[in-house]
Amino acid sequence: MTLSHLATEDVFVVERNDADFRAGQGMTKGLGIVFRKFRKALFGKPNSDRADTEGQFNVQYPEERLAMPEAYRNMPILLYDDATGHELCTSCFQCERICPPQVIHITQAKDPATGKPVPAAAKFVLEYDTCMSCGYCAEVCPFDAIKMDHDFELSTANHPELDVDYNRLLRPVSYYETIAPTMWSDVKEQAMKKLQNNIKRRPGDIGRDHGQKIKGGAPVAAAATPAAGAAPAAGAAKPRGPVAAIGKNMSEDKTAKLLAIRAANAAKRGGGAADAAPVAQAAPVAEAVAAAPAAASAAPTGPVAAIGQNMSEDKRAKLEAIRAAKRAERGE
Amino acid sequence: MLKTEELQINIGPQHPSTHGVFRMLVTVDGETLVDLKPVFGYLHRNHEQLGEVNTYLQNMPFTDRLDYFNSMVNNHAYARTIETLAGVEVPERAQYIRVIMDELSRILNHATAMGFMLGDMGAWQTALLWGMREREKILDMFEYVSGARMMCNYCRFGGVVRDIDDWFITELKKLMQGLPHYFDDFEGLLLNSEILLARARNIGVLPKDLALAYSVTGPVLRGSGVAYDIRKAEPYAVYDRFKFKVPVGTVGDVYDRFLVRIAEMRESYKILEQALEQLPDATGGFINPKVKQQSLKAPAGEAYARVESPKGELGFYVVSDGTGSAYRYKVRAPSFINLSALADMCKGYTIADVVVILGSIDIVMGEVDR
Repeated sequence: MTLSHLATEDVFVVERNDADFRAGQGMTKGLGIVFRKFRKALFGKPNSDRADTEGQFNVQYPEERLAMPEAYRNMPILLYDDATGHELCTSCFQCERICPPQVIHITQAKDPATGKPVPAAAKFVLEYDTCMSCGYCAEVCPFDAIKMDHDFELSTANHPELDVDYNRLLRPVSYYETIAPTMWSDVKEQAMKKLQNNIKRRPGDIGRDHGQKIKGGAPVAAAATPAAGAAPAAGAAKPRGPVAAIGKNMSEDKTAKLLAIRAANAAKRGGGAADAAPVAQAAPVAEAVAAAPAAASAAPTGPVAAIGQNMSEDKRAKLEAIRAAKRAERGE
Repeated sequence: MLKTEELQINIGPQHPSTHGVFRMLVTVDGETLVDLKPVFGYLHRNHEQLGEVNTYLQNMPFTDRLDYFNSMVNNHAYARTIETLAGVEVPERAQYIRVIMDELSRILNHATAMGFMLGDMGAWQTALLWGMREREKILDMFEYVSGARMMCNYCRFGGVVRDIDDWFITELKKLMQGLPHYFDDFEGLLLNSEILLARARNIGVLPKDLALAYSVTGPVLRGSGVAYDIRKAEPYAVYDRFKFKVPVGTVGDVYDRFLVRIAEMRESYKILEQALEQLPDATGGFINPKVKQQSLKAPAGEAYARVESPKGELGFYVVSDGTGSAYRYKVRAPSFINLSALADMCKGYTIADVVVILGSIDIVMGEVDR
């Protein structure tokens, strides 16, 4: 063939091992390797070292989770300042313009007195169901107002819910700081400077009248919550906190187990801020779980108690009635 | 002699061994295959039309969705086309980063492609899971640099979006400690396995002249004995600086394609080693700062740039009329063109061999249908 321009020293012919064929030998060798791996997987310790090719590699999601890199991008969120409640978005339409699937829809806010546009968004709708998570919106945003979230457990049976409006897109800056500390510290100074400039051009409550951060018509007082308290409070206001999402369909004892695992993991890692927050937030759940076994122990003892551990009161009563009837039948 | 009637049956479009929504209309005489008609289009997403509506930058994440196993390579090929069109220079460090990502993609692609092919043969799970394990390690690293595991969207015109740091290089070196063990294990498990030999040797033979006539590329072409690799024939990025060899087969059967892929993984490993050694420091930057990514306008003209994707020659053809988006945009997808040779590869073999032959071509329907 004349097609090949390649020098002969650049090419080699793969060895076909045609002569080596002997019934059973190749397979025995292969099985030997499989057996070695199998033994290591059974008795080896779990490992996450990239150099290893033997041992256990499984991660027991959702009980165990891998740490996510800062750059991880799932869905866009919008940031607001913890201290003042002001949203960073100025509705400059850069993200709306770049968005490849065109799922961002912004309406600019107007000054009610003069009718002139104000550097703030009145409406901001993002179609999560069509978003392709490319991250361009966060990349182009000159005000660092739109960022990519790390929360990936977004499944829902309610499709219209995925047209996410401004109220549900907003997260405090402190939340973003926990998921991407270095990426935020790189831009923090200029983002905050730009925000201060924009606040001057926003009359009244425009630019901070969305979300749960200023409930009850007392915007200034509510927004002036000390920064220390802001993080967990804002986390709770978030529509899907990590713990809430996981615990949603879980039995209480499983939730308790998960919390224990997480606490242990957090302790192992030296108690990172990201881990500490959800655990603290989940404290009421933990208390509720602690109360549950106490209630169970008050119930009738013996085999019934063992079975009834995860049962509701009326179901347990019903079961007890059936058993009593059976006993009577047998003439005990 | 018993006169039997020919029978037409559909394999797919919903069938686990068709690697996506792909239908094969096969005519069989008993168990022997008489004719095969590939039917596709079930995954058509209007990609090329979208490329003419989108701006150049907007189209980048859409290229991720072509061959979703190797989004890094797709990004590279597309970025290279627009760079050729607009005359953009790429810093050396970015070229090296792109090469590292391409070769990692090649390893993960071949590891899983061979795993899936063996899965089609009935070697359920073991070989595939070993490949998946290595792929997982590589995907974690892609996630670290690009933010996503599969839809990386990593390249930009004139560079890449984020530089690789010390963590990445340390982890890559660790990963590379493990890779040779994986290659050895994989070879030891399968190379002389009697079941593999029985299912792969002299099955699905694609002769050299037929492969050239179909303009088949990649491991399928090399398996047929043609030493053709774009990294050598038309070195792009910095491929002319690495020492590596092009493996070729002799017979052109499933077994040759299998062997060529294993050998290619080892060659990719060599390239990775050299790329890490030669990687320039960060002073040159990882992206050309002069390029206006969002409002890039290419002068009127046309450009075709191609790279050696793990599946073959991946090329993008773009015609510009001087505006911010392409006038015409065409993808030369290796899976699609390799697939056209399927009928000739399958004729005369049994129906059970069809899935193995299809697996050995290594197609991704996202790329075939576009």
